[in-house]
Amino acid sequence: MIGLVALIGVAMLAAGALAPCARIPVAAALWCQGIGLALAGAAGAVVLAGHAAVGSAFRSGIHPGVGIDALTGFFLVVIAVAALPVLVYAAGYLPGTPREGAVVGLTGAFLLALVGVVCARDAVGFLCCWELMTILPATAVLIARPDAHVRRAIFEYLAITHLAGVGVWIAVLVMAERGVLGGASLTADGSLVVAGVGIAALVGFGAKAGLVPLHVWLPRTHPVAPSHLSALMSGVMIKVALYGLIRICFWWMTPAPVWMGITLLVVGAISALGGISGALVQRELKRLLAYSSIENVGIITAGLGASIVLTRAGNPTWASIAFAAALLHTLNHAVMKAGLFLSAGSIERATGEHLVDHLGGLLKRMPWTGAACGVAILAIAGVPPLNGFVSEWLILESLLHAGVSGGTGAVVSSLVLAVVAATVGLALVCFVKLGGLALLGQPRSDGARGATEVDRPMRIGVVALAVMCLVLGVVPGVVLAPLMRILPGGSEGAPHALGIWLPGTGGLPVIGLVVVLVGGTVLLVRARGPRTAPAPVWNCGQVDEPALAWTGAGFTSALRLSFRGIVRTERTLERDHDAGIVQEVRYTQAVPNLFDTRVYHPLQRVALELAHLARRLQSGSLPTYVAYLVGLLIVLLVVARLVGG
Amino acid sequence: MSAPELVTGIIMLAAIAAAPLVPGLIQQHKARLQGRVGTTALQPYRDLRRLWRKAVVQPAGTSVVYVLVPAMCAAALLAALLITPVGPSAPPFGVGHDALVLVGVLALARCIVALSAWDTGSGFGLMSAARDLTFAVLGEALIALVLLLAALPVGSTDLRAMWLGAAGSHIWTAPAHWCGLVGMLLIVMMETGRQPIDNPDTHLELTMVHEGPLLEYAGRDLAYLQWSVAARHWIVLVLLAGLFLPHPAGALIGPAVVVVWVVVLTVVLALIETFRAKLRLLVVPQLTAVVSLIGFVGVVSWVIGLGR
Repeated sequence: MIGLVALIGVAMLAAGALAPCARIPVAAALWCQGIGLALAGAAGAVVLAGHAAVGSAFRSGIHPGVGIDALTGFFLVVIAVAALPVLVYAAGYLPGTPREGAVVGLTGAFLLALVGVVCARDAVGFLCCWELMTILPATAVLIARPDAHVRRAIFEYLAITHLAGVGVWIAVLVMAERGVLGGASLTADGSLVVAGVGIAALVGFGAKAGLVPLHVWLPRTHPVAPSHLSALMSGVMIKVALYGLIRICFWWMTPAPVWMGITLLVVGAISALGGISGALVQRELKRLLAYSSIENVGIITAGLGASIVLTRAGNPTWASIAFAAALLHTLNHAVMKAGLFLSAGSIERATGEHLVDHLGGLLKRMPWTGAACGVAILAIAGVPPLNGFVSEWLILESLLHAGVSGGTGAVVSSLVLAVVAATVGLALVCFVKLGGLALLGQPRSDGARGATEVDRPMRIGVVALAVMCLVLGVVPGVVLAPLMRILPGGSEGAPHALGIWLPGTGGLPVIGLVVVLVGGTVLLVRARGPRTAPAPVWNCGQVDEPALAWTGAGFTSALRLSFRGIVRTERTLERDHDAGIVQEVRYTQAVPNLFDTRVYHPLQRVALELAHLARRLQSGSLPTYVAYLVGLLIVLLVVARLVGG
Repeated sequence: MSAPELVTGIIMLAAIAAAPLVPGLIQQHKARLQGRVGTTALQPYRDLRRLWRKAVVQPAGTSVVYVLVPAMCAAALLAALLITPVGPSAPPFGVGHDALVLVGVLALARCIVALSAWDTGSGFGLMSAARDLTFAVLGEALIALVLLLAALPVGSTDLRAMWLGAAGSHIWTAPAHWCGLVGMLLIVMMETGRQPIDNPDTHLELTMVHEGPLLEYAGRDLAYLQWSVAARHWIVLVLLAGLFLPHPAGALIGPAVVVVWVVVLTVVLALIETFRAKLRLLVVPQLTAVVSLIGFVGVVSWVIGLGR
């Protein structure tokens, strides 16, 4: 029954993806995709809620198979929950844009590939869907925006994800060859194989998930995509990449070695810190959001690492809590980031501006989008009682308990705890800045001044995601309980109430907090008194000049000065002199990306130099090539003689 | 409801009203130490009464955020105050007693006050808010490590369990506890906005950290925000006393000792304010980083088993 519902869902999704070919209107195609996705998500939710797995189990042979178990069910829910509002949004966003039909079809195919990755039960099917998941959004972006700089960004995306994607192939094929997918234990093959598979998986899946240092494609590709695709890529695709890592670390490599946990902790912490410090200095709205995705993937990875460390330290209860925390953050981040990217699309549409410093005052001009965007910003900034706080609280608690439990990973866990806590602090600065600049205060450009609310489908998509941020924040216990059962051998010490009550914590009774926060706010606002005196902004008596308005760079200047070591601001000051009198002073500052200047540019130089050397072999004259062939033949004959003899 | 629960609950509810006494006492001690007559400890109440009678303002161009922030800030501090137990048998008040939830609620207050600065667009408010959030970045790392140090002996982030873990004298043999004490002292000064981190006495625009966004408020709005500052004093001093200062484990005598510690700590803070100058702005993150390192050393010392 459940399998049938899921199959019908997938069929409708496929029909919706093919519909534009038959010149069916875009809205109808999106509806068809949406209903199909909802059915698939519902099937996933039923399995997640405790129903037995449906479809086939994993197999190492080449016979294709699909199935849904609890983990797949969870990821189907993530895809559906984030993508449904995105499809609604697209119904208002896409009509009128160039080649809308093709983009709609590719969006549906992309969703189909995402569903395929999590449902595949054999190596070939998995790798096939995996590659489609990489290529389809790239195609859609190129079709929607065929500019030179977009082509460049997509090239970098494909280059990095394909070069690193070799790791995925190695990991999956080695495991299929050893029969691990069919149930054999990988650890029986000795630590060298485990190490090889672990590192290959980390490189392959990590690059696709945007983990530092293989993240450089992400902040270039996600911003150039149409906003509904950015939302899907940042909200869902990079999480599906983590799905592969989760399968390997928690299903096939069990018990995962402690060094794998420590590696995940360290990589996660570096990604979190690297991502958010990149986000802090961005001026473009969507690029800022893309950097913040790197941060959140890092936090999720750190949670997964904590789970392995806790398992190894003999604390299965907290191991399953840490695992559930990482999954909950996956869901929460999918919801918030989709909401933020969709808001960014609406804001760009309404103002024509893509720089954060050119927005301002949008809460008044776009009340629906502005309010929804504000909720998502507060959620991702990690303040209670919204969903971002809940999962970040759980991950911090997991890291803390990994530090308490002793064992090998405790010292690393405590260090990562401090780093993730600092990351949360940085995220607060970053998103307070974004919210303040974009939504509050006075408009900072003509575009922002003339902004009006967007069409209804676009509003509905964003508001639906904001409402989900609220709901997931207020009743997290309902979601956390099934997540704690996913891990094989996971603890049943599930939280019961709407809030979260876990051993070794003081509990997170969100309802109580909401009552105090909302009730207190309402009472105090009422007690504030009706007498208000209209006045200009005091500002210590200074006149409020628009030219003196604060910019994002000003807001982060104290921070950039404090962290000069990581965030290296470059300043240039130009003076135009005329007969000894300064006519004009130009001041520019920019923060170069350390990974570009320190890692990728030297690598690029070395590669080009090697290519230059290799070019000397290519003389272009036929006799030389014949000489190469003869030489090669002789070498091969000698080798064959030596080996064979 | 048992007697200790009742007494602890009454102390915590009374703290809602008594919190302004804490900054009042500090100001009074400071005046004496500086050879001035100064005000009495009740001055904050007189200020609040004066503000209560005044009208609030609505600066031009502000949105609903400006109206909501003072009330929400006070509500957040109320929640934080109820989360912070003065003794091991504190009643839950429906908000639990988790240490990291407390950090989150305090971060909420900081975040919305910074948003109010963006709403008015006032340069001085934004400058102060930016500094406050900058300090909080490494401050969060330090708080996480200090809470880990306090959670190590009991393996729980329930503040009541942590309170019990720090009671008695056996804990003082562990170097981790001493490292935590050093870290907590810095947190107290950061969260209360006292010297050497910030100077609460001046409204000199260019040096403000906590006061900036408050400049745009008047009347009852300002009263809410000033009560919030006082509540923050109470919360961090109770945390310092309950988690890192010597106190007996008794469910009745313990809370009494914590309250006495809070009063004693007002003298300590006044002494520090009298003898220490304010640090340069960019030195504060460096100091926080160094103290965080001390906290990390404490964790390592615990993991390798020193003193337990």
